[in-house]
Amino acid sequence: MFGVDWWGLSVPFAYIGVLIGSLITFSNFYRKRRAAKSANLAPWFPPHMQRNIYLSLLHLDPEEGQEKTPAVPESVIRAALLRRAVEDIHRIIQIRSAKQACSTLLQRGSVGDDLWQRFLRAEKEMEEELRDVVTEANALTPNWGQTIFQSANEIAAGTLLRKKLEDIQAQAPTEKEWWEKRRASIQSDFMKELDAPATATGKSGTDDDAVLVESANGTGSIRKKKGKN
Amino acid sequence: MSGTDYSYDEQGQFFPVFIATVVGLVTIPLTYSVLKPSSDPGATAPRIKTDYRPEHADLIDIQRKAQKKKERKLKRIITVIAGWATMAFMAYLIYVTARTVPKLWNPYDILGISDSATEKEIKSHYKRMSLKFHPDKVRPDASKNQTIESLNDYFVELTKAYKALTDEEIRNNYIQFGHPDGKQSFSIGIALPKFIVTDGNGKYVILVYAALLGVLLPYLVGSWWYGTQRMSKEKVLIESANNLFREYEEGIQEGGIVSALSTGLEFQKALKGDKAESGLGKLESRILAEGVSSPLAGGLSVKDRTVLEDLDGGAQRKALGLLWAYFGRVELDDPALNQAKFEVAPIAHALNTSFTAIALAFGTTAPILSSYLTCQNLLQALPPGASPLLQLPSITPAIAKAIEGDSRTHLSLQYYMGLPEAYRKKLSVGKGLLTEVEYQTAMSVAKQLPRLQVEKAFFKVTGEKFIIPSSLVSLVVKGRFIPPGSQNVPEVNELDLEDVDPDEDDLDAILGRKKKAVKGEKAPEEDKIVQPPLAFAPYFARDYSPRWHVFLTDSKQGKIAVPPFTFTTFDKPIYDESGKPTFNMQTLKAQFQAPPQAGHYTFVMHLICDSYVGFDTKMEVTLIVDEPSKAEEIEAEDDISEPDEDRRAPPAKKKKKQAEESSDEESNTEEEADDTSDTNTDTDEE
Repeated sequence: MFGVDWWGLSVPFAYIGVLIGSLITFSNFYRKRRAAKSANLAPWFPPHMQRNIYLSLLHLDPEEGQEKTPAVPESVIRAALLRRAVEDIHRIIQIRSAKQACSTLLQRGSVGDDLWQRFLRAEKEMEEELRDVVTEANALTPNWGQTIFQSANEIAAGTLLRKKLEDIQAQAPTEKEWWEKRRASIQSDFMKELDAPATATGKSGTDDDAVLVESANGTGSIRKKKGKN
Repeated sequence: MSGTDYSYDEQGQFFPVFIATVVGLVTIPLTYSVLKPSSDPGATAPRIKTDYRPEHADLIDIQRKAQKKKERKLKRIITVIAGWATMAFMAYLIYVTARTVPKLWNPYDILGISDSATEKEIKSHYKRMSLKFHPDKVRPDASKNQTIESLNDYFVELTKAYKALTDEEIRNNYIQFGHPDGKQSFSIGIALPKFIVTDGNGKYVILVYAALLGVLLPYLVGSWWYGTQRMSKEKVLIESANNLFREYEEGIQEGGIVSALSTGLEFQKALKGDKAESGLGKLESRILAEGVSSPLAGGLSVKDRTVLEDLDGGAQRKALGLLWAYFGRVELDDPALNQAKFEVAPIAHALNTSFTAIALAFGTTAPILSSYLTCQNLLQALPPGASPLLQLPSITPAIAKAIEGDSRTHLSLQYYMGLPEAYRKKLSVGKGLLTEVEYQTAMSVAKQLPRLQVEKAFFKVTGEKFIIPSSLVSLVVKGRFIPPGSQNVPEVNELDLEDVDPDEDDLDAILGRKKKAVKGEKAPEEDKIVQPPLAFAPYFARDYSPRWHVFLTDSKQGKIAVPPFTFTTFDKPIYDESGKPTFNMQTLKAQFQAPPQAGHYTFVMHLICDSYVGFDTKMEVTLIVDEPSKAEEIEAEDDISEPDEDRRAPPAKKKKKQAEESSDEESNTEEEADDTSDTNTDTDEE
């Protein structure tokens, strides 16, 4: 029979063993690191303040020296829940509008995988949150769960509109001030012109309020120009 | 057959060849990449001529030089030189080592006759040779280094050669195996020097092998993989891109974008350690001081100010402060701070590119426009909403304000330059304003700026009269480069405004291989690509070639309808040799698919130059999509002479016909769905 060269035979096996062993260790470490990293990803949304308020209203601790927890009026709790739903609406809108953009950007390689992971987690959290709000609402008032998000949506839209209006209104004082100043300057110009009617003013700018100005050399540069002195 | 007869390369005649080949495989492609003409626009593009030097031009120049050095690929050059040196050395080794090429056994050579000799000649020649060289006849001549044996051998060779040519059997042997004695033993050579396998060296060889395969290879693969993972497609750190995505808001404006850009991790790298905090107080007091034309010197709004002040200290806050200082061109009285001020702008520009990509993915018009405006602001060092006049040299916010007077809107450069010369000069030159020399410099720069003025924009389908649903439509924008303040601009030539289709047989043009607008008369255009001059951006510490973006938006929904097409080069010269504008009609074409429904679609076309403020064009264009039946009527009247016409027609034309007739109101988003009906409709039409 053949004499088996055990020593010689062990070498290739050792080689394969070392190779596979190192691959396994590497993949182990790699997975662990990735898992740890994804666990530490920052949350998509900041802490949910409205939810915290609602929950702390529900679970008030008794004040010192008293045994009974202070009774919170039902209306306050309901208002807190509605506020919470409004905030949820904001977040849902954000998630909905970002989802498509995020996935196309991820495919193109313009944003990273981390972001997508965070996004998916936020989406899942929001689903849970919505379900929780519906059950809470149903617990407070029967069948309120079906309508709470409708009202929350109205509130959210209304707030947005009001904010925009306020922004526009906020510009009014400065606008007003400028126009006052402008009126004063035009008035003084007119007074000057009346005082000296003989000297024709060479100012070309005063007459072009809201006029399409064709520039002199015919470049066709068209510009709506207001209030040029 | 002696299969185990390996011979190592003892004389070292193959080893250098092997090494030279392997090194050459790496070196030659690398050499190409080093020597190939640089794609950097700064190398070839013309510049706007001016001798204006902004304040701190030295600092900006230092950074431009540093950037050039970085782009020079020093490592690659060294590798290439080392590679060529190795190859040269190996070539020298090959040349020096004596070659022991096994000679082919050739009977004619041995006999010393020509290959074409007849059998008779061979015989007579052999007879003569055998008489002369028979060992019995010749005496060994010691001076010629001959012995009895060598003479004997030579005679045997002669005989063999003769037999190989005359004897049938031996001749067969020769033909089959190349030798009259039959098959020769052969040896396998390994192109490795022997010292690699000699005893004692084996372990080192294994060590090297293990290092190569176990360490170097994983390292290279790993660094490549993580390198690609680290950077986004827009060449910014992926984490910065993630941050920018988080900062995106529907209603974000230029100021908000600047704040968002400061979240980039690149700034943390640029402002490491001590740099992250030093001078922050001074910087902020400077940019938040009262400004000339804006409430704050940095040009930031009250909202941006609160954003800045809400940030924790550190690199981000400093980066944002520096950015505002850059925008406001605020003097910081500190070389290090001033240096950092110019350093942040190119970083922010790169980040802004990423932000633009994100905004485009969301598709809302306002943020996209804002991000393009931010790009302009970054290049020109202008805060959002500042006067475009500040782009001209020597004009400070105070001067711009004096020129504009008490106006609420800003003067655009082209309006300012269009004012009568004397009036413009009266506005700009004087005490506290520009000096005469400064004014002339500013004017000369302004008259060189490439402003693309759109003369006409229309839609067409190549080779068709009508645009039918789902066809491939080209948006053709015809425009001329008219620098602000140009005199004697010629009238638009109506012929130039037409977009003539390429000839039927001109496949290159049809397939759009070359962007070539074929004109009615002067068909053989030189198809040289013309680069516009580098952006005149004296404060931006990089050379930048301006880009023009054309895109369509839907004004009712506030969404983008056709994503931007970017143009960096043009097909006709913009300036002649002496630097005067040529006013050539340039053609920009963007192709997209028409909507699947017939009707009138009104889009807003934006043409944005990303390097200059106030040169943007915004105009309404209407895309008229006709029912496919209309196009067919015309075609029938035209009596179709060329069968090619159909094949080149928009792909969905035929197949759409039936679908349209049956379900007109149905919104079918998948135009390609009914591909199969193409063939049969094609035939029964004619």
